[in-house]
This record gives sequence, structure tokens and C-alpha cells, in this order.
Amino acid sequence: MLELRGVRQRYEGRTVLDLDHFVLDRGATVAIVGPNGAGKSTLLRLAALLEAPSEGEVWIDGRPASRSRPYRRRVTLVEQRPVLFRGTVRKNLGYGLLAGGVSRDAVPGRLEAMARRLDVHPLLDRRRSELSEGEIQRVAVARALVVETDVLLLDEPVSSADRAATQQLFRVLAEERERRSVTVCLASHQLEDAYRWSDDLRVLADGRLAPVTPENLFRVDIPPGDPEAARHVPVGPLTIAVVTERPGGPAILAVAPSDIFVSRERVMSSARNHFSGQVSRLVRPRPGLVHVTAEVGIELVAAVTEEAVRELGLMPGAAVTYAFKASAVRIF
Amino acid sequence: MDFLADGWRRAVHLLLSGDAEVLGVTLLTLKVALIATTIACAIGIPAGFVLATRAFWGRRAALTVVNTALAFPTVVVGLLLIGLLSRRGPLGAFSLLYTWQAIVIADVLLALPIAAALSAAAVQGVDARFRRTAQTLGAGTWRTAWTVAREARFGLAAVVTAAFGQCVAEVGAALMVGGNIRGETRTLTTAVTLHAAQGDFGLALALGLVLIALALVVNVALQVLQGTGRA
Repeated sequence: MLELRGVRQRYEGRTVLDLDHFVLDRGATVAIVGPNGAGKSTLLRLAALLEAPSEGEVWIDGRPASRSRPYRRRVTLVEQRPVLFRGTVRKNLGYGLLAGGVSRDAVPGRLEAMARRLDVHPLLDRRRSELSEGEIQRVAVARALVVETDVLLLDEPVSSADRAATQQLFRVLAEERERRSVTVCLASHQLEDAYRWSDDLRVLADGRLAPVTPENLFRVDIPPGDPEAARHVPVGPLTIAVVTERPGGPAILAVAPSDIFVSRERVMSSARNHFSGQVSRLVRPRPGLVHVTAEVGIELVAAVTEEAVRELGLMPGAAVTYAFKASAVRIF
Repeated sequence: MDFLADGWRRAVHLLLSGDAEVLGVTLLTLKVALIATTIACAIGIPAGFVLATRAFWGRRAALTVVNTALAFPTVVVGLLLIGLLSRRGPLGAFSLLYTWQAIVIADVLLALPIAAALSAAAVQGVDARFRRTAQTLGAGTWRTAWTVAREARFGLAAVVTAAFGQCVAEVGAALMVGGNIRGETRTLTTAVTLHAAQGDFGLALALGLVLIALALVVNVALQVLQGTGRA
């Protein structure tokens, strides 16, 4: 459906996105996760044909897509902090329909139906200055959904939404997929939502697709040192021991949740990294697997089995120690 | 100091009595300024949009030219136009020199850089997300430009006001290419210059007051057109 082929984007000489091949298949739901500044928003703007890449091309249905209107009308983007145009919410929801040539008679019915589905119906006659950030975000999503493009790109669409609004959005997206096989790509930093909602989860770090799981990713500054000895990298208030041949400098540090050992007390082991703290939440991304998030100075996620959760009595507030080897830390 | 008080008295009398000369000069000034402002904004505002939103070869140079033209001396524009419009000039065949149309041309040349530079600044001041959002919702070039213009409406209203101010207050070039011919090319500013030089302070003051009133009326009209400040 939509492909980014050999796309690189540079701003003032700095490469912020470098993708050999990125594909969104028809009807797919893809979540892109990664730390701030990873290039998620740039990727979405390029995919929405709103920016020309420094190198490479965007393809739609097997053909290079120019930034002309016929191609743009097949893709819509809701930006991370969306803006509403001057005028009422009703006018905003009708904007894309009128731009797309829908007759004026048909516009009110379509926009009101979408407004009801996303529960923005009571806001229809309000103006942007009378809305909260969460409401603006919901209106922006409704405004994009109502134009019914083939591809819908959402940049952190629930960052200002409460739980109910988040669930409602995901429910409406699921309905849309059933109805017309829309391709949805969502950038998010909320991993639980990304896991629960998407078919395919991709990690972006420093502008590249990263070959790691999306949890426990940190932007770090590697101190220079002997590549044969463990080096100590500051991550927030912690210092993490790593083994890497990289010279000093900025990098991404990743610890796979399955590489973290969880215990209730500190135990002697060969692991060079031990951090104690409290469990903050438990999430079950798939049956039998539990992601245990603990606040140990930074938030770290460990993957354990249901059996381990029961045996260790892991629950929010429980004291835990996380341990992992220096050699288990990925630096890239 | 008596001449000042006399001047004020004469000015009020001329204005209240509906003096034919004052009325004629005012109407011509208004006609010239409105036509010149319309032309300058019709060319300058789209040019400002292009300068602000399109990346093209020579954009930086174009912006420099426009900004330099803001400080162009009006008498130099008048001099260039005399060269172009005089009988021996390249546009001499049109016999425009010493006509009100020549003043319109001079005013357009002087107001155009103002319209282009200020509208470019106004459009650049609009958050880029508005343009991207319009485009991603399927808007074409004109609808997108209109959407951005609505967001920049206060800045663009200032563009029109500044262009009108330039046109209505222009004296140097208007005097040179218009010739200050009574009943034909005499505008408020050139008339003020003439009557002040002739010592007719009352008439000069009356015309000056009309000039200020014109500026006020146009500003109020523009504010009404902008609508309320509601988002």
C-alpha cells in the first residue's frame, strides 16, 4: 500500500531519518514506538507526503507518489499536537469533506455521524479556544477519520486523552478497519496501547528501525573508555554497566525485558547491574507473559511468566530487584 | 501664533462648508490610494505567500530585494517613472506622465514591497501545522492559502493598512509624476505642500485634517472587516 524506499531526511545537515525500506500493507495496523527524537513524527510527515525526503521516495500502490493532491488525498495525518482551524468544531470536521468535493448537502450528516462515534458531538458548535487539549485531539482525529482516506497516520493520538477516550478511539479505529480495510499507522510512546492495539510493532531509534524490543530504550552518552572493559553509562540517576566496542558519544541503550532477572531481594550473581525499587504496574501483552514495570530510578520493564508473578508475589507496590548482565545491554 | 488659530478656524470652516476644492482633492486622493492599494496588495500579498511558503532557487535573493525596496527613496521612484513615462521614454506612447494614473503607478511601486515583505512576515508567523493540516485534509493550493490567510488575518490587515498608508501619504513621487495639476492630479499631500509653501496655512491644515480623517476611516473599516478576535 504505502512504502518508503531508501528514505533519508536531513535537517541542516543532520540525518534524522534513515530507512532502507518501510512498508505499510493495506489494512494493517502498525505501531511505531521509540524515544523522543527518534524520528517518528518525521517518518509520519514523509509518509503523509507533507515533506519531500532528502533522499528516496514514497510509493503508493507500487508507484512513486508525488506530493500532488491526488496522492495526498489517500493519506491523512493527525499531528502530535494538532491544530484546529478558526471557526467551530463543525466547520473543522467539514473542512476535509468540502476540500474533497463532497456536496454541501452531504457534509452535515457525515460529520455529525463521525462526531457521535468519537463523542465530540456536544462540542460541534464550540471554537478551539473553548476546548481542552484532549478535546482538540479527539476533534482532530474525527476530522481526519471523516475524510476516509486509505491510510490514516496518527502521531501520539491519545497523549492528552483519558482512559475512556483512548478506548473509544481504539474501538472506532477497529470499526473503521472492519468496514473499509483502512491502513492505520500510529506513533506512540504508550507501549501497552501499542501492544494491545497493533498487529505489528516497530521500534524507531535515532532515525533507524531498531532490531530490539521497544521497552527499556534510552538515549545515552557513552563515556570514552577501554572497549575490553565494562563501561559505566549514566542513564538518569542510574549508572548502567555495558560492554561495547563503540567509541564514546551519543547512542541508544537497550535492555530486552527477557534479559532482566526479577527477585524480591538482591542476590549475588555475575550480573553487573542490580537495581532495586517498586513494581508500578503489570501488563499482559499476550497470554502467559507478564511485563512487570518497576520504578528503580528509571522505569524498567521485565518480562516474566504468570507463574513467576504468583511465586514472587509481584503486584504494584511490591519491592523488587532487577538484575541484568553488562553483556545483555545492547548499544547502537 | 495668531496664524495658527486662524488656520484652525479656516480649516474647520472649509470642512464644514463642503468646499468644492477640498472635496475634489479628497475624492481624487481616495480614488488613487484605493486603486493603488488594491493593485499593490493583489500582487504583493500572493508574492509574500510564495516567498514565505515555497522553497525555490533565488528565494533568499528575492527576499533581500523586497526588503531593500522597502527603503527605496520615493523621489528616486518618481525620477525613474519620469524617465519611463516621458514622451521620449519607453512608455511615452501611453501619455501617462502628469496624469492621476501615473500617481497610481508610483504608489503601486512604493506599496508593493511593503505588501510583499509584510505579508511574507505575517504568513511566516503562522504555525506550519495549519498549512500541513489543510494539505493533509485534501485542500488544494488556494484553499490551503485561504486557510493560512485566515490564521494570519491580523498581520494581513496590517499589510493592507500599511500599503494604504503609503499610498495616501505619498508626496514626493506623486508630485514628480503627477505635476500637482489643479483638478487633475492634485492630491491631499501635494495640495498641502503647495498651500503651505504659498502661506495658505488654513487650507493646508484643512487638507491635512482630511488626510488624517481618511486614514482613520480606512483603519476603522479594516478593523470591522477583520471581525472579532474570536478563534
